[in-house]
Amino acid sequence: MDNSDMRSILKCVRCGTCRSICPVFDVVGWESSSSRGRMLVAHGVSQGMDVDQGVFDSLNTCTTCGLCEQMCPSGASPVKVIENVRHQLVLQGKMTEAQRSLRSEAIEKGNPLGEIKDRMAWLGDSGRDLAKKADYVFFAGCLGSYRYPELTKRTFEILKSFGVTVLEEEVCCGSPLLRTGSDPSELISNNLQQIKNTGAHTIITGCAGCYTALKNDYPGNLDVVHVTEFLADRLAELGLKKLDLKVTYHDPCHLGRCNGVFDAPRQIIMSVCDLEEMRNNRERSKCCGAGGGVLKGYPELSLDISKKRLEEIPKDVDYLVTACPLCRTNLKRGDPGIEVLDIIDLLEMAMK
Amino acid sequence: MQKSDLLEKLQQIVGKEMVTTSAAELYCYSCDASQVRGMPDIVVRPVSTEQVSRIVRLAYDNGIPVTPRGAGTGLAGGSVPIEGGIVVDMSSMNRLLEMDLDNLQVVVEPGIVQEKLNEALEPYGFFFPPDPGSSAMCTLGGLIANNGSGMRSVKYGTTRNYVLGLEVVLADGTVINTGSKTTKSVAGYSLTDLFVGSEGTLGVITGAVLKVRALPKERSVLLASFENPELAGKAVVKVLSSGMIPSACEILDRNIIEAINTYDPNIGLPRAGAILLFEVDGTENTVREGIEMIKEACSSLASSIRAASDKKERDEIWAARRLVGAAVSRLDPLRTRVYVGEDIGVPIKELPGMLHKVSEISKEFSMPIMTYGHIGDGNLHTGMCIDVLDEKEWDKLNMAADKIHRTAIEVGGTVTAEHGVGSARAEYMGLELGKGLDVMILIKKALDPKGILNPGKMGV
Repeated sequence: MDNSDMRSILKCVRCGTCRSICPVFDVVGWESSSSRGRMLVAHGVSQGMDVDQGVFDSLNTCTTCGLCEQMCPSGASPVKVIENVRHQLVLQGKMTEAQRSLRSEAIEKGNPLGEIKDRMAWLGDSGRDLAKKADYVFFAGCLGSYRYPELTKRTFEILKSFGVTVLEEEVCCGSPLLRTGSDPSELISNNLQQIKNTGAHTIITGCAGCYTALKNDYPGNLDVVHVTEFLADRLAELGLKKLDLKVTYHDPCHLGRCNGVFDAPRQIIMSVCDLEEMRNNRERSKCCGAGGGVLKGYPELSLDISKKRLEEIPKDVDYLVTACPLCRTNLKRGDPGIEVLDIIDLLEMAMK
Repeated sequence: MQKSDLLEKLQQIVGKEMVTTSAAELYCYSCDASQVRGMPDIVVRPVSTEQVSRIVRLAYDNGIPVTPRGAGTGLAGGSVPIEGGIVVDMSSMNRLLEMDLDNLQVVVEPGIVQEKLNEALEPYGFFFPPDPGSSAMCTLGGLIANNGSGMRSVKYGTTRNYVLGLEVVLADGTVINTGSKTTKSVAGYSLTDLFVGSEGTLGVITGAVLKVRALPKERSVLLASFENPELAGKAVVKVLSSGMIPSACEILDRNIIEAINTYDPNIGLPRAGAILLFEVDGTENTVREGIEMIKEACSSLASSIRAASDKKERDEIWAARRLVGAAVSRLDPLRTRVYVGEDIGVPIKELPGMLHKVSEISKEFSMPIMTYGHIGDGNLHTGMCIDVLDEKEWDKLNMAADKIHRTAIEVGGTVTAEHGVGSARAEYMGLELGKGLDVMILIKKALDPKGILNPGKMGV
């Protein structure tokens, strides 16, 4: 363990603030599933504790939502510590089957979903007349490419009208590996080379996981904007009409709390319909339960966290809107009783 | 009894999912927010009184230590199993059983977090006044077992004042109910008072009847700045002897002011040697009058006085104040707040003198000591931050803490006004309580003859 991680662990005074807000602890109820517990387990591992299933179940159930870090009075950084300890353990070959599978699928197939189909198939006829060079490049992401191809195509149709292009053969951004302790450098250098080839100065993405990976984990301080940020600056050009709807918005943790993108999605929503906030929103928003490898490794836990989040939906809203395909997937799994839309779906309703 | 047999028997009581011997889990239950450590053999999470009774009976029959635990936010090792055995994590017993608001009371299980109770009461216009800094995370069971209090105790008293009755599992598993649902009863010894603050050494609290109060109509906050903490201490004595009882009266010294401003730069507390935060609550008239009385009492001592501009500023100040104990760690990346010697209480008249002595102790040991706390009831939190990797600093810290404790006792005070004795302060019980400790030991022996309940705590 490096010195800065040990310092961060020692910053934790075990006051329990994180215990009262951790969405995982809220469901599991065992001390080791709170950030305080994970800091202790990380400390234990550094002191030679056997890495058994109990250690994995503590460290690997963190969704890396960062709420604990946001609220920690003493300034500890549990998410950073947890990700680093996961990495140290993976380096020693200590990982779960879920971690191993995410890694091998992402590295071998270019996506953690294990898909072998043509990644860029979502483009369809939008692939015609694509500019090789552009100032802006759209990063579709694995979920966008394989799970929401139509939405991704429609998103790109809007972006294309502003001169945006795509990568030739995009691969996974590396986020699932970064979050679960594996080395994504191969994926990163592949994407970076392609980004360079387009000559783009800015990357646009519609996925919160891709956003934070590209922005914070890629070398070279890339300019990265979320599709909501890009479009919020161009609303006047979209010819929007007002919809007679009221929606609520789920802040993806890796977009909102971790990177401060709160206003752009709200600006878009409020320009087309009414918005009523979820009980916990913006910096205090609760996780959908999918991040950090939890959906893959602990699907039932992930579902329970999603259901808890859905309890915060205000009454009488027409849609639950979010801005990340992973959040969307998990919120849908929780069966909210109303449709879960990507923010682009909503925008398109107002464009028609 | 073999550990595997114990595990099997406990699984029969609570089900497989609610008991663990996982090394990682046990490690997480080996501490609270203090420096006390002790590894449990097994942790169990009961969901009913009947389960608790059966667990304790099993432990009694086999002479196994039982340590009850709430949220583990304690600062004295009260919930740390220093002799191993079973940790009983009560946080799954978290139901609000009854809201009997016509009788101004609620019936609760012990695992409810304090703030959750108040969230449930607020829409009805009521609240449960004991208000520790840890209100967002601590459980009511832990609050009762430690007789915790907090920022509003100067007016509203401690948890003890709000416990009408308790359900307690005794050492042999017997379940008793103490007190009653009446606001007054003199039937028998006050067993409720015996169990409140007994830190799990006499029984396991599995339920409580709590008194609640109507929320005040108005609240107002006043900030008074002083050149040094001693002047602030004098101002407190003056305010309280004027007959005015604020609903909170907190002191923040120079470093604490900086810590709050670092934690939340929006708050922007004035730079001063010390600040007193006064809160007055009641009707519009009593609040206005109270604020005037405080201004008057502080006028000759304070360098400036101002009122919080609105509810938002007031709420921000209290939120930051609640977390400041841990937030002082932010002042220096290499230092961490260590909770030792942090909870003395002295008679109010002794406050200015005690504050002066704390600053002398700080100089003597070259150990920066930050002072904050509920000065209105003589309760000072003395915060020390050290590089926890430096053993010499630990020595200095412990020596300074020891001197703070002994000095408090010398001036007629206490080593712990609200955080509890646990094992961290057990060694001072003889010095502070004298022969009273012998009586405590007799009571302990009578109620827990085998010594299985939270052994090694409170000097008994």
